[in-house]
Amino acid sequence: MWGRTLQFLPKQNQREGLLPWVIGVMLFLCALSLTSALALGRGLERWSAGLTSNLSVQIVVDEPHERQQQTDAVLTMLRATPGVKEASVMATEDVIGLLRPWLGDMPTDTGLPLPTLIEVKLTKADAVNIKGLGERLRATAPGARLDDHQAWMTQILDLAGVVQLLLAGIVVMVVLCTVAIVIFGCRAGLASHRESIEIMHLMGAEDKTISKAFDERYLGHGLKGGLFGVLMAGLTLYVLIRLAAEMGQGLIQAGLPAASSLMWLALLPLMSGLITMVTARITVRRALLELM
Amino acid sequence: MITFENVGMRYGMGTEVLRDISFSLDRGSFHFLTGPSGAGKTTLLKLLYLAHRPSRGLVNFFGRDLATLEREALPRLRRRIGVVFQDFRLLDHLTAFENVALPLRIQGAKKAQVADHVEELLSWVGLEDRMHARPATLSGGEKQRVAIARAVINKPDLLVADEPTGNVDPTMARRLMHLFVELNKIGTTIVVATHDEELVEMIGAPILSLDKGELSQIEGGTPFDPGED
Repeated sequence: MWGRTLQFLPKQNQREGLLPWVIGVMLFLCALSLTSALALGRGLERWSAGLTSNLSVQIVVDEPHERQQQTDAVLTMLRATPGVKEASVMATEDVIGLLRPWLGDMPTDTGLPLPTLIEVKLTKADAVNIKGLGERLRATAPGARLDDHQAWMTQILDLAGVVQLLLAGIVVMVVLCTVAIVIFGCRAGLASHRESIEIMHLMGAEDKTISKAFDERYLGHGLKGGLFGVLMAGLTLYVLIRLAAEMGQGLIQAGLPAASSLMWLALLPLMSGLITMVTARITVRRALLELM
Repeated sequence: MITFENVGMRYGMGTEVLRDISFSLDRGSFHFLTGPSGAGKTTLLKLLYLAHRPSRGLVNFFGRDLATLEREALPRLRRRIGVVFQDFRLLDHLTAFENVALPLRIQGAKKAQVADHVEELLSWVGLEDRMHARPATLSGGEKQRVAIARAVINKPDLLVADEPTGNVDPTMARRLMHLFVELNKIGTTIVVATHDEELVEMIGAPILSLDKGELSQIEGGTPFDPGED
């Protein structure tokens, strides 16, 4: 494959001039989509793992004395449950803090019947049978409600799954588009070099000798375009990561990769070069088969 | 060496442009191909330089039946055939030297060997000062000489030439024919398509005459003596 190439094509070809740029743009989109899809998957995994190993228990009882009794009973039961790492009552200030987005600033002594919130940390996500724990809580304290975050987390994870599928779809489409563009570029190149190809063919050049000249040229286009696209994507992701880091934690960061994980992007120009070269080779060989 | 038996040729679903063509070219023979425009000369030449397969009939090249020959085997056969195209068909972005060197490079000849052969031949056709010129800067006659040099550089078994002296002065025409005769003497089979009756008379080789797709053969006159040059 890497033997001496009989380079009979002109160095410049106006019809192919835009090809590396187009490949670059495609690779830019591909790198962004692929990075986002992978990072979203990993980020959500980490984030949901953190949430599924946390539970909340609300004690919703109007009468304060009764509420305290049920709270104590629940804490005792929870601390005795295998798989529960820690169970603690959330301070009233923190409960008010959670309500602030909806009710605004409030004094600690509001007079509102606030529920008691118990934060439960599990040793691991599946350490406790949630259904069984719910039944035991209700038996221990009629005013206790278990929130394992599953209802709303399932929706978010479903949404994230759809977004991941979409991103994967975009990657596939971008790769297919790149292949199609290379085929068109290659055909245009073939048309403009038809005379040279025919002469080489009639002088006894084998198909592989002719296609090799195109192999090298299109490998170069693919590498150049790939490098440009990946550099642009790397730069864009770096800026987004910096901005997200300044904005804080959470879902925004779940969709972004860690800066250290961007190293694999360096492989994309190589892949782009190989895809471009193989596509060009197949296109040229097929066109040559039309000659006797 | 080359045999055509009842060969017919049509393009697509059109009418036959060649009908029942039968002839044979012995090793070291010299033939002219003549005929009016539209008689089928170009098509017959294309069959001779393996650009097309015939629509029917038997064609045998160097002992190989073209009908049963695999496509992969054709490049080796083509390397034994030199072609001078009427419109030269030089690669515009390559110099005269590079154009002439192509057949040798396709065969995988060594660089030093290529340089020696190409320089010698280009000097012989009077282009020693134009070796590094590109076709766009060459005159018609110069291009034709480059095309001829390219066709004969690897001493082909068969040389097919379409109007090879059409763009050169009589002295150069005689010199180029001298080259063909010398090649012919060392065993190259030569077919020259031409309208130039003087040239045909000068060489005195047998004539393959085409008219409306049908071939007739005419014996040659007095053979050309290169020593007269």
